Amino acid sequence: MERSPLVPDPGSAASSPGLPRNLGLPEYVTRRPSGFYRTLNPATKLAIAALEVVTVFLVPGWLGPIAVLLVLAVVAAASHTMRALAVIGLAASPLVISIMVVNLFILPGAVDPIFRAGPIAPTWSGLWFGLLTSTRLLVFSSAVALAYVTTPVDDLLADMSRRGLGRRGVFVVGAAVQMVPRTIERVGEIMDAQRARGMDTEGRIWRRARAIVPLAAPVVFGALTEVEERTMALEARAFTAPGRQTQLRVPADRSRDRALRWAALLALAGVVVLRLSGRVG
Amino acid sequence: MGLLQRWVARQFTTRVIVLMPVAIAINIVLGYTVQSGLKLPIYMDSIGTILVGVLGGPLPGLITGALSDLIWQYAPGIGSGSQIGPFAITGAVIGLLAGLWGQLGLFRPRRGRSLNLVAAVIALVVIGAIALYTYSHAYGSSDAFNSNVLGNSSWTIDQSRLFFGAVMVVFIGLVGWALFLRGDVGAVFAISAGLATGIAAAVVSAPIYAFFYGGVSGSGTDAIVAAFRAGGDSLYQSTLKQGLLSDPIDKMITTFVVFFIIGSLSRRFIARFPNGEKLLGREVEPEPPSAPKDEAADGPKDEAAGAS
Amino acid sequence: MSLDLAAVRYRYAGSSSVALGPVDLRVEPGMVVGVAGANESGKTTLCLVAAGMAPGVIGGRIEGSIVVDGVDAATLRPHELAQRCGLLFQRAATQLTHTTATVFEEVAFGPCNLSLAADEVVERVWWALGALGIEALAPREPTRLSGGQGQLVALASVLALRPKYLILDEPTSELDPAGTALVADALVRAARETGAGILLVEHKTDVLARIADEMVVLDRGSVAMRGPVADILGDVRLADLGVEAPAKVRLARDLQAAGADFTAELASALG
Repeated sequence: MERSPLVPDPGSAASSPGLPRNLGLPEYVTRRPSGFYRTLNPATKLAIAALEVVTVFLVPGWLGPIAVLLVLAVVAAASHTMRALAVIGLAASPLVISIMVVNLFILPGAVDPIFRAGPIAPTWSGLWFGLLTSTRLLVFSSAVALAYVTTPVDDLLADMSRRGLGRRGVFVVGAAVQMVPRTIERVGEIMDAQRARGMDTEGRIWRRARAIVPLAAPVVFGALTEVEERTMALEARAFTAPGRQTQLRVPADRSRDRALRWAALLALAGVVVLRLSGRVG
Repeated sequence: MGLLQRWVARQFTTRVIVLMPVAIAINIVLGYTVQSGLKLPIYMDSIGTILVGVLGGPLPGLITGALSDLIWQYAPGIGSGSQIGPFAITGAVIGLLAGLWGQLGLFRPRRGRSLNLVAAVIALVVIGAIALYTYSHAYGSSDAFNSNVLGNSSWTIDQSRLFFGAVMVVFIGLVGWALFLRGDVGAVFAISAGLATGIAAAVVSAPIYAFFYGGVSGSGTDAIVAAFRAGGDSLYQSTLKQGLLSDPIDKMITTFVVFFIIGSLSRRFIARFPNGEKLLGREVEPEPPSAPKDEAADGPKDEAAGAS
Repeated sequence: MSLDLAAVRYRYAGSSSVALGPVDLRVEPGMVVGVAGANESGKTTLCLVAAGMAPGVIGGRIEGSIVVDGVDAATLRPHELAQRCGLLFQRAATQLTHTTATVFEEVAFGPCNLSLAADEVVERVWWALGALGIEALAPREPTRLSGGQGQLVALASVLALRPKYLILDEPTSELDPAGTALVADALVRAARETGAGILLVEHKTDVLARIADEMVVLDRGSVAMRGPVADILGDVRLADLGVEAPAKVRLARDLQAAGADFTAELASALG
């Protein structure tokens, strides 16, 4: 059968470095990233993020968050992800405000007020604690966000699959991520339909509470009706066949990836041990 | 295959594997909609977790609960999850417990027989006792300051009665509403399971709040936390006390919803899940001469809904 | 070499009424067998039973035998059945795995599940896409396709397992006329290119008229009529069984009723 012009020649260069032969996979399948940080192996980036998170929370005082913040800033700048991280950081502002307000004014056991205005007495300890907690949270979420922004879920799952995550785990995570937008649309449709019937989504709290069941029930039922057919469709695609699922996409795992990963994991273990043994904090 | 391996494999049928991502997406989207869209002071992010636990078992429930928060933070697709990761622990506990309740048959419909009523009364007493114990200890513990906002040392005892009372009011309200809607005494067991789950969730979440978030959640309930703090409670105690109010209420509402959903699913649909037999009532309902076509495609619904 | 259903009776789990049966049916490679019938006449059940989904995946009780190329279907696991009898449903969306970013990977899902070597997987994907003429869809996102395109991708995904038999449950029911034509043409191509035997359940008898060789009409779970397509579709009893005759046949009848006189050419043109 003559190949159509869209089918690449198997002898062509487009192939993933992790595979044994030149497969001629088109670029839209291999989707190889560019840029130093993005091309790092997904497990390595996860290990780095884990180290960052552990450092933020286990290294006492400002040292942990500040150190990680500096590293994040450098990496984000180099990989042009500053804006994405900033957006995610901004989404945390209600939480940050809450943390600042509650701790500033009511930190248990604080006795160093900044000023007094009647019963209201913000304390220096409260300010310090609030700022530290907020910073920790922001740096933590940025570290995770950086991993996400530089590592598409597909690539992460492909790497986990290579390391032994079974096809069912890959399916559950991959499908969940794709289902969220679909479910959002469905909820939106249901909310519009219910509003047209007079359901109140603004207004007093009791009215809003009554909106829950007419909203939750159709979403859940709609999702459940598909379960039967999707189960059969999966079986019809040999999902329950034994053996390892063939991988077309295999993220590279070069020696520098392995070295970085081991370094990160060892450092992580080190921080945990130091903290647990009481040497620090 | 060892016994343990078989127990694990039994819970992860293809059907459960298909249900899990759907449940995770429901958790995330409903949680976001209720918290940020409807702006209610409850979470409503565990319906999927409890559904999977009750239908599939403890392990699928655990994984669903944990993955929901992890995915919500890592690969959002929707807002307000950027620091929710640590609560994967709470999610896992909720799912695990839901699996346990499912296997104990607590979500089974129980209509008609008077034995059911007796069992329900016993359940009420048991759960009431557990809750009373929990609340009196949490709110009246010897660690708590006796001097506080009102300067009244007996306020610490009153706190426990107040919150215990509030939670019991919601409990009785939900049970009563369920009995009114369906006359199914099984609601007592299901909502009691919700209360127990809520208590467990609060206990597990309090240290998470204290350690990661400085004892604050960013929602309206922080005002309650602030009030406890002003009374002199530690970070952990304040978040525990706040949690013991919102978590049980949230989980009772969730189990109420899940109980009704399970009650509305067709026997055929439920039977195919690992926990199926534990969820089917004793009485055999007469099967209507139903349409084969929609039995296959529209599995869940009870009544023959016509051609799909 | 055939797919044989012999004296098959099936009851759904928890139901005492017979949803299908008794049914005798044979599908041979390269042949297209059409199935028509009123709503709830057992068409979907027939598809599930023929593909081994019932009772294999959804439970229920079965009597009689289903033999696929000499092998009793009851002895086959679901993934083994999937490689012999491909099954396609009505809704394209529920057949997507929702875990893949491109149609290429979506079609590759089945072969990858079989642990085939990577180059064999790639070859099968291009073959399946080529058999339906949809190579151009390979880079697209599976969730962003039109109904007709989605069904074609689902069909390619099933073809990639190289089944000897294809069982399709009203694949065009949710499609507009353009989508229907797309899928019908693709089925013709698939039959020609792969040599598979096709069992096609369709409400739209025009489609059956176009591509089926012989057909069967179901009524309340059992076979009411059986024979070559032209004979069955021209038979007046179709209406009693709840099946609408194809447009051409209805037109011819209406014209005859209005008193038109047919020349031989006109009669043959109307089929």
